[in-house]
Amino acid sequence: MNALVALAALALVAAAPPRPSAPAGSCKQCHPSWTVLPKDHPAVKGTTLAACLGCHKPAADAKPDAFSARLHRAHRAPEADCTVCHTLSRGRFGLAGGKKPLGTLAEGDAPLRRAATSWAGSALLDATHAKADVSCAGCHASELPETGAFVASERCLACHGPADALAKATEPAVHPDRNPHRSHLGEIDCTACHHAHAASENYCLNCHPKFEMKQLPGAPR
Amino acid sequence: MSDQQQKTGIGRRAILKATAVAAGTGLALDLFGGKAEAAEPRAKRPLPRKWDETWDVVVVGSGFAGLAAAAEAAKAGARVTVLEKMPVYGGNSIINGGEYNAWTDELRLREKLKLPDDSKELHGNDTLKGGDYYGDPKLVEILCRESPKALDWMIDEGGLQLREILNRTGGHTAYRTHTCKEGVGRGYTEAERKIAEKAGAKIRLNHEITWIWRADVDGPVLGVEVKARGKKLQLKVTRGLVLASGGFSRDVKMRMAFNPSLVASYNCTNHPGATGETLRFAQAIGADSLHLAFIQLYPYAEPETGILDAPAVYPFRGPGYGILYVDRKGKRFVNELERRDVVSRAEINTGMKPTYSIFNARMAPLMGGTKEEIDAGISKGRFVKADTIEELAGKLGLPADALRETVATHNRYIREKKDPDFAKPITDRMLPLEEGPFYGIAQWPAVHHTMGGLRIDEQARVIDIWGNPIPKFFAAGEITGGIHGANRLGGNAGPDAVVFGRIAGRSAAGVNPAA
Repeated sequence: MNALVALAALALVAAAPPRPSAPAGSCKQCHPSWTVLPKDHPAVKGTTLAACLGCHKPAADAKPDAFSARLHRAHRAPEADCTVCHTLSRGRFGLAGGKKPLGTLAEGDAPLRRAATSWAGSALLDATHAKADVSCAGCHASELPETGAFVASERCLACHGPADALAKATEPAVHPDRNPHRSHLGEIDCTACHHAHAASENYCLNCHPKFEMKQLPGAPR
Repeated sequence: MSDQQQKTGIGRRAILKATAVAAGTGLALDLFGGKAEAAEPRAKRPLPRKWDETWDVVVVGSGFAGLAAAAEAAKAGARVTVLEKMPVYGGNSIINGGEYNAWTDELRLREKLKLPDDSKELHGNDTLKGGDYYGDPKLVEILCRESPKALDWMIDEGGLQLREILNRTGGHTAYRTHTCKEGVGRGYTEAERKIAEKAGAKIRLNHEITWIWRADVDGPVLGVEVKARGKKLQLKVTRGLVLASGGFSRDVKMRMAFNPSLVASYNCTNHPGATGETLRFAQAIGADSLHLAFIQLYPYAEPETGILDAPAVYPFRGPGYGILYVDRKGKRFVNELERRDVVSRAEINTGMKPTYSIFNARMAPLMGGTKEEIDAGISKGRFVKADTIEELAGKLGLPADALRETVATHNRYIREKKDPDFAKPITDRMLPLEEGPFYGIAQWPAVHHTMGGLRIDEQARVIDIWGNPIPKFFAAGEITGGIHGANRLGGNAGPDAVVFGRIAGRSAAGVNPAA
């Protein structure tokens, strides 16, 4: 089962205080009734996460995943905790009430919580992806990334490619060879400039400080 | 330096015998404690208790030298990882001017172009003389002997393509400077990367070494500590560590420690990662270094930013075909065939920034210029184009009469094969600037190359301060010293790095480096 996918569910709307009487993984902890669901939402069988995951199960594909993103986005709130839906104990990441963990968090749960919080509401590229319904697995597939992990360019290009079209789109009218996506450096990693959980930066400007370049999405304002 | 810094500077070296360390790194001591070193370890450093990874060969740096080392080590059967601290591979090599000296090549360009003879001896003599004979003749001999083979290797196995020209550039007595098709170092690094990756070596970006492990001054190098995207890794090395991390031109503090005149306001052609921490780690475990004060200025960088872009290579390529350098008064100020250090000093001595190169449309293709490059350079305001010398003078803001006079005089010198003003050795390949269109480009020196570095021997083994090779420790390229001497001839960095990189790779893998 895909591990990473569900990780953005760190923040659950605490519509009501968790009710210890409800079993782990039960939506009834916070939603005693299903009135929170949109009017046109199909009928739900059961009251646990398993009932949601029939449809909202995240996929590891490199593409927007509206069901997963919507579920995670809807459950974010500053005071909510991912552990309402997820287990994070002893470095094991799983679904509350699930039979086995989805993966291991070798560095504890802090980085995951940090990334998920950022995804849910930062000014960085992770939040841009959230708004476009791309959740963790959209970039990280089924890996639980550790510090030092990065997203390979092919993964980015699955949505933002092909590379030639991307280069065409950023070709300056005046000096077409000053194109960050087709430069004298040849093929470079997207992550040289574009960072999801940190401020993006124009690598070109390190050597070409006089270039007038557009502010990157996710760059500090 | 504060007492505290001095203390920690010594304490971190406690893994070595105290006396040995003090002697070996006396110069380096001054460098600790700066901002660049803030992340460097300051306390006594016990060896790692466990290793995160084990490799036969670890290569530090992914430029000309590192890729060559990785390719050869992997070909020899070693498991190789290449650590690159920057987010893109290639270091200064991938942005270099695309120039490579070889006295011959498998394409027989010299014969095809009917240029005068050349030999490894001539190349060697020029290299030694151009460095005021500080260079090690044994290492220079290897560089010049192996340079054509290394070039052919990149052509045959890496798909390198060359422009069908050869230039005679500053300090050289022959037309031996090759230019790759791309006109930028990427042509060579891509060829090398292809060879290295095909052989099984893998480049890891954003991997910066933060220490070199050695238990004592008699023992081998054991491994390296690495910072990889915020994570610390300990890498064990079983066969050899190759340092190929380049020079320190962008390390203002370090360059000023050896040459105080190279203050921060000097421009620099290098990428931001060209700093000296790797060299200091090597010094800290007993490696010897030499010639660190010899730091080259590139005479033809873009005056405002110091960038060495495609147009900035034209003045370097041109002297063999008659390019003219003038100051802001429209007068010549140097023999255009002079070495980089001489030209740079002459420019600074004009007291007027910038100076200019003047050439014409007839010279351009001979020196490897392309229409695309020149047109792009014109549109960016780098090249200025004019039909007459007077018009060119107007566009460059030079006195027209003086420039006309300078050009006419120089044309006469070329026809008479004698330059009484600056004693340029005129060849019959040099053209007078007679018909337009004419081109001009502004130029000014910028810090470019650090000739000094780690002492190596013919097998690219790093030599310690007592003159003995440090087991399992190798280096190649700009991080080494003692090859180019006081001044590196243009176009010699590529051959140095590729030739000694290949040797270092074979040595590290444990095979005969000469094979």
